[in-house]
Order: sequence, then structure tokens, then C-alpha cells
Amino acid sequence: MSFWRKMYGTAKLAVVSQFEYRINLFVDAVIQPLIGSLIEMAMWYAIFSSLGQLTLAGYTRDYYLVYALWASFFSRISANWMYEFRMIDEIESGKINGLLLRPISFYEYYLGQYLGYKSLTGVFSFLIPISVCLVVSSPVQLIRLPLAVSLLFYYVIFIHTVSFCIASLGFFFNKIHSVTIAKNISIWLLSGEIFPLDLVPDPYKKILLWLPFSSGVFVPTGYLTGRLQVSDVVLGFKSVSLGLCVSGLVAAIVWRQGRRVYSGTGA
Amino acid sequence: MPLIIETENLSRVFKSYKKPKGLLNSLKGFFSRQYESKIALAPTTLNIEGGQVIGLVGANGAGKTTLIKLLSGLISPSTGTSKVLGFNPNDRKNEYLKKISVLLGQKNQLWWDIAPVDSYDLLGKIYDIEAKEVDRRVEELAEIFSCTDQLQTQLRRLSLGERMKMEIIGALLHRPEVLFLDEPTIGLDIVAQNVIRNFIEQYMARYKPTIILTSHYMDDISRLSDRLLLISEGKIVYDGNVDEFTLRAETKQKLMIVLGSPTQEAMEFSGIGAISVGQKLIDLSVPAKGLGEVISRIAKFNVIQEIRIEESGFEEVIHEFLAKNVRHGKVGRGLTV
Repeated sequence: MSFWRKMYGTAKLAVVSQFEYRINLFVDAVIQPLIGSLIEMAMWYAIFSSLGQLTLAGYTRDYYLVYALWASFFSRISANWMYEFRMIDEIESGKINGLLLRPISFYEYYLGQYLGYKSLTGVFSFLIPISVCLVVSSPVQLIRLPLAVSLLFYYVIFIHTVSFCIASLGFFFNKIHSVTIAKNISIWLLSGEIFPLDLVPDPYKKILLWLPFSSGVFVPTGYLTGRLQVSDVVLGFKSVSLGLCVSGLVAAIVWRQGRRVYSGTGA
Repeated sequence: MPLIIETENLSRVFKSYKKPKGLLNSLKGFFSRQYESKIALAPTTLNIEGGQVIGLVGANGAGKTTLIKLLSGLISPSTGTSKVLGFNPNDRKNEYLKKISVLLGQKNQLWWDIAPVDSYDLLGKIYDIEAKEVDRRVEELAEIFSCTDQLQTQLRRLSLGERMKMEIIGALLHRPEVLFLDEPTIGLDIVAQNVIRNFIEQYMARYKPTIILTSHYMDDISRLSDRLLLISEGKIVYDGNVDEFTLRAETKQKLMIVLGSPTQEAMEFSGIGAISVGQKLIDLSVPAKGLGEVISRIAKFNVIQEIRIEESGFEEVIHEFLAKNVRHGKVGRGLTV
């Protein structure tokens, strides 16, 4: 009960804080993913125009256009670099002291905020692709949206754990923002944000699908847009579960060691 | 009174990277670094009874905040053990964290982007306090502070003094049994400092927590503390009450005598603790026990216009104490290892 109260409290904190800065919230939830979608859609439009053929790897242009539309929004919701930077800054500057002295863990505190913020932006963000799909005929099956979003939010917990591991390195090295950027660039490729992972030849495709990162964008978007089936989503849940176990173990070790060397900077 | 805080040889050593000046040394440091260890707190054994206010004083970098960080579980000790309320602070158990509170005067612990009422609502959930009880406690504390009007204003828009009141309410919301106050009045004007001191006195009288208080404003310490711990270069060099300390430090009185007309006899005081001596103005700093003799000599002048006697500030007393004890080799030096 206490855990859920804390999660609710921190999620509410994130929502209340975001509502204080309306323009920032609007740009983050709507404008940024919209720009991302338009760029990717323009890219696929140009590829099909220059190819001079109706299909690519068995899918028509419409499949790629709706994939580009949805992938950008899934990617925005699963992206957590902003919270990762905040966690790193808190450790580097010693602001974390205020949290370490309270009966809530750093992991819980940021997980609650991250989920709260992503739920809020998710509500605003998904209105755009949903509206487009209701107006324009597309291969999207909106009935699949709840399962796709469930996988996305399960993935959010995993990616938060990865962020927690990286932020905990701050106890040892202080400035580690470049690690976050390197991780983000890798995730662009591994998650399928830049292009659908089924374009990758085997056996690399199988490896990518087994990695939990594909569950952030490719699996939920592919399932929603008709490229993947329920069995692929189930595989996604399994790979994220495995990823959670591994990242959770690493996080516990790095955090414990980090706390031992921490000097309580700035207090 | 039961012991609330017990430490046994508790110490902390920090390692820091030393980089000599210059680009070449930066390049060398990229591949190989030299670290230096510094004792922030030498092995310390301490017992503190419940319901007391402990004034922890010392110069910057003396080790006050390190001791607070160790006792609150913020950092791990290099050696030794500690127990606060029966818990090992280093375990950071939620049951322990619910019983203590730490107010770091130079850091915001409430949330910058939201109003204090929203912060208190979150704190209520973190400390597992019912929402109605949170409201009741906030109302009670805000009334003592006369700050009810500011509860709904975003924290970043409040003045420093107002923010400190809000921080104190946040720190006391869960009724901690042990309260660590690290510089609670730093940067505040005299009126705001007095408000905070009055509040702490009232709170102490009502709830009787154990308070560990550090401050650079000696009025905080002399007015609130039952017991004084003076810390210097990582070692506790005095442990006793404030009055005894003042006696041991051989406090000096400042005397300023203004004469109605210039007199050559005034120059006789040049050798007696003189700060400055002129034919019309004598400014002296005299040990309390020598005050009688000086006054009887001054009384012989029949041209005295004004005499002012001022007691040394507590900060000066500490300075005197440390200077005297370092001179006599009673305070450790050269703690760098």
C-alpha cells in the first residue's frame, strides 16, 4: 500500500510540475513527435518515389508511412533521456541528498515521476496519430492499441532501470552525460525508431527482436500497424522481463557500490 | 534520559584528485591521477541523550556537516560504528528515515516548481501520513510561522526567509524524533533569524525532539543549545555546556572609554590589552578577571565622558579558545594523511 501511495504521489508530482509549464508540455507531447513523424514520412515517401516500385520487403508504401507516423510517438513516450539527465545532475550536484534522507528510494521516486509524465504526454500525444487513422484509411488496427501500449509501459520500466544504472555511475565519475547520449543513439537503431527492424536480414533480425529494446518502438508499432502478430508481442514481454532482471541486478550492484563512495557532495 | 545517538570511533576519510597547474598536467592526469586522502572526521566516540539541543560549532571544513551526514546515513563511515534511535544509519531503513529529519540550510529540499502545499501532500504519501493529518499539521505549523498565505505560491517565487519557513514545515511534518538542522538561519536577515529561533524554541517545548544544530550565527547556538560540541580539524575539542565553555575560553570584555579632554595619562593603558589608545579615546580588550583592576585605574580620571563595556561575540570566543588550545598543543593539527 505504502509503495503504491508513493508511486501515486510521485506520478502526481510529475503531472503537477508539467502543468506549471504549459508551452514546454505542449511542445514535448505534440510538436516534437509530430516533427519526427513528418521527417520520417517524408523520407519513406522519397524512398518509394525513387525506387519506382509498389512494395519494399513485402509491404506497400502505406505500411511504411503509418509505421513512421506511429513510431515517432511510441519513441517519444519511451524516451527517457530527460529524466536520466536529471538523475545524473542530482547525483553530481548533491541534490540527491534531499531524497536519500527520505523513506523513498531514488529508483521509486524517478519511476513514479517517469510513469506519471509519460502517462500525461501519452494522452496528448496519441490523439494525433489516432485522429489521422480515423480520418485516413490505413492498415492500422486501433483495437490492438491497448496491448501495444501495455508493452510500451512495461518497456518504460525496463528503460528506467537502464537509466538508473547509468545515473548510478555518477557516484564514481560525476560527469557521464556522454554515456546517456551514446545509449540514446544506440537505442534509435535497436528500437526500430529509424526504420522497421524487419528490414534487417536474418540472423540479425532475430537477435534484434530478442533484445528488449525492440519493445520500445518496433514491436508495439509493428503490431499496431499490422506487421507483427500477438506472438511477437508475447516475445516482447518475455525479452523485457529478462532485460528487467539483468538491468535490475546491475543497478543494485552499481547503486550499492556507488553509495559506499559517495561523499554527500554539496550539503 | 536514554541515549539517542551513540558513536564508537566513527570516522570518514575523503579522497580527492590533485591536479597540478597546466595543460601538460591535465594530459598526465587523463592517464594517471594522484589522489590525496583527507580526514574529514577523525575517530569520534560520542553519546547524546534524548530531548537535548546539541550545538555543533566549528570553522568551515571542520567536520560538522560530515558528522551530520554520517549520523543521518547520507554517507558511509570509513571506520567505526554509530547508532541513532537504535538503528545503524548506514542501513538507511525506512523505519529509521521516518524518525529523523535533516534540514540543509543551503539546499532546497522541497520541490522548486510547485507550491509548498503540493510538496507537503507528496511528503505525506512518502511518510505514510493520512491526508487530513497532513493538512492539520501544515495548518498548525504555518500558523506558528504566520505563513499561511504563502502555502499556495510556487516555491521558486518565495523569498529566502519564506522558503526557509516552508522547508522547516516540510522537515517537521512527520514529527521526527531526531532533527538535524544544518545552518537553518544562513543568509537570513536578523528578523527572520529570530523568527526561526523562536519557532525552534516553541517546537522544542511542545514536542521535545533531539536536535543537532550547526550554525555560524552564534546567537543560534547560545540561545538554543543545552550542550556544545566544538569541532576542529575533524576532532571534537570541546564537549560541555555553553557557559562553561565561555569560562574556559577566558572571554574578554571590550572597553571603550571616551575622555572629555585629552590627557597624557591615557597613554599608560598602551600595554594593557590595548586595541587603540589615544589622548581622548581608549579602546581595550581585557580578560574578564582583569576587568576590576582596569576599571579602578580608569576611575582615577576625572575627565571621563563615556564608558562602554561590550562582551565578546561567541564567534570570537571560539576563535580565542581554538587559538589558545592550538598554542598549548591541545588541539590536533596536520590531520591530512
